[in-house]
Amino acid sequence: MSGSSDREPLPPRVDLATAAVLLALGLGVMALAWRMPTFVEQSGTGLTAPGIVPGFHATVLAVLSVLLGLRAIRRGALKPGASQSRAWSREDARQLGTAALLGVLYAGVLVGRVPFWMATSLFVFAFTAAFEWPAGPVGRVRRLVEAAVLGLATGGIVTLVFERIFLVRLP
Amino acid sequence: MNNPITMLGDGFAHVLSGGAIFHAFWAVLIGIVVGALPGLTATMGVALLTTLTFTMGPQVAMLVLVCVYVGAIYGGSRSAILLNIPGTPASAASTLDGFPLAKQGLAGRAMGISTLGSWFGTLFGTLILAMFAPSFGEFALQFGSYEMFWVALFGIVIAGSLSGGDPLKGYIAGFIGLLAATVGQETNHAFPRFAFGNADLAGGLGLLPVLVGVFGVAEVLNAMRGPAVKAVSAKIDSVIPRIRDVTQYWRTILRSGALGTFIGAMPGLGEDIAAWTSYAAAKRASKERDLFGKGSVEGLMAAETGESACVPGAIIPVLTLAVPGSAPAAVLMAAMMIHGLNPGPMLAITAPEFIYQIVAMLVVADMVKLVYGLVLVKPLLWVLLIPRSRLMPIVFTLCTVGAFAITSRLFDIWVMLGAGLVGFILRELRFPMAPLVLGIVLGELLDKNLLRGLVLTGGDISPFFTRPISMALCVLTLLAVAWAIPGLVPRVVGVFRRRPA
Repeated sequence: MSGSSDREPLPPRVDLATAAVLLALGLGVMALAWRMPTFVEQSGTGLTAPGIVPGFHATVLAVLSVLLGLRAIRRGALKPGASQSRAWSREDARQLGTAALLGVLYAGVLVGRVPFWMATSLFVFAFTAAFEWPAGPVGRVRRLVEAAVLGLATGGIVTLVFERIFLVRLP
Repeated sequence: MNNPITMLGDGFAHVLSGGAIFHAFWAVLIGIVVGALPGLTATMGVALLTTLTFTMGPQVAMLVLVCVYVGAIYGGSRSAILLNIPGTPASAASTLDGFPLAKQGLAGRAMGISTLGSWFGTLFGTLILAMFAPSFGEFALQFGSYEMFWVALFGIVIAGSLSGGDPLKGYIAGFIGLLAATVGQETNHAFPRFAFGNADLAGGLGLLPVLVGVFGVAEVLNAMRGPAVKAVSAKIDSVIPRIRDVTQYWRTILRSGALGTFIGAMPGLGEDIAAWTSYAAAKRASKERDLFGKGSVEGLMAAETGESACVPGAIIPVLTLAVPGSAPAAVLMAAMMIHGLNPGPMLAITAPEFIYQIVAMLVVADMVKLVYGLVLVKPLLWVLLIPRSRLMPIVFTLCTVGAFAITSRLFDIWVMLGAGLVGFILRELRFPMAPLVLGIVLGELLDKNLLRGLVLTGGDISPFFTRPISMALCVLTLLAVAWAIPGLVPRVVGVFRRRPA
């Protein structure tokens, strides 16, 4: 379940920045929890106020993020040269950006606006084509045709299987 | 009527009626394929298949999901052996000896060993579940709100401490999960927390969209970077397991089965920890430890038995405490709730037969897995060669359907996208996912029981610390925290050692 824990450790400065963001989150949630009504009249005790539990979680989160920040500083986050972080390679960033952009366009924009089979066909075609385009001009047309067939097949089969066989409503 | 043997027989009769074998065969097959494909995890498989089970009856739905879970955990070993890439995190330990065996031209033998180990593991764990879950369920009936609060907190802490990597980040992930679970109306006063006037947010973040996001969308993003995985050895020797492998390593099988089941029963630890622990224990006790990492049959057997024994183990706390033992078990628990089966202490009263039905489902899934393990080798090689550029958009489509289908709200698709992004970033920042998921799943349990306890006592918090079981759970939680503080345990032990002198 841990999945990612076996990779190389992050530079301490990344942990420090993470701690700062988490501390802001913790303090922000604490403030919101504090402003929630307490319902003392109804419950007779303020301890059942809706803000108690999120306030508790946020306080723990804030304390833990301070510990994370202090640990990062102890490990040299503030020392010069500590910022040499392992950034994504340009290729990784391009691949991630493409996948994320296409995913948001599909799930956030197309789905619900055009018929589901069409949205899915377009998405699968675009995704496959985008990631197979850099493979070079040799066989590109064939790959694009295969991507189009895959897209249409996915759109059709997913719609058929979910809507007709398993009676699940699709967007 | 309440004789365990009779109930077990009834459980099998119930599960095996109504085309169960047909459902078991296709569901285990999907599970194995999902598990075998790097980038698709057992958690994702169970989450996506939950969508397909909406219109099924609860028993068939649970059978399907249990089969997917069992199949996926086993399926991960295929790519671990053939590609040196664990299909699921649970199979990471299997790469250590599975791949060296494959390189020696013994890929078939390695797969036979993994099939046998996995089969014994699940069977062993299921036996333990059948023996202990009913009685533990009855013991859990003594748990009130105070105890359940501590169970939830203990789950987060133990998952944070032991789920691998950095305990501090584990705790943070757990509390982020708990915070996410507080969004929406709370139970006491129906006050919409963090809704900001939005009716969708007031309804809360759906468990399934969040889990599909964290384990589906984040996995798709993660799978799409870096170089693509290349070729598999197409030469496979015989996959028929040898009896000698069992008779020679029976101690390892029993040890790994017991360890795997125990780790499964601990909240949030999961199959990967079970496999690593079983592997390490086998190496320590082995006469041929020099072979470990170079193609040891015993090492592979230990890892596979441990991870597969963990599956029934992880279901034990789901059935008895409503606390999942692993991430896939968390999704399975969510599916049980969706289907109106309320897991937890009350199950022993409301539906005691369900525990035995789960036992029957696990046994059926295990048997089907054995069949596939022996016949499904070449077709799986073909599946492993599907390029990610063609597989991942299909997975993303299934994620979108899975997130939408439960309540038919487009808002849930946005929740999935948001959870996917957050999950991906947290993974990149080396936060373990197990405590995060446990936090999301246990958030409501913790919230409800804390507030209910306070209402019952009129605001007095002392029962949380003075009731015997509460006190024991509180001490366990504190010990788990202390265990994770670097250097604290040796220092305390040192103090006690010095004192007598």
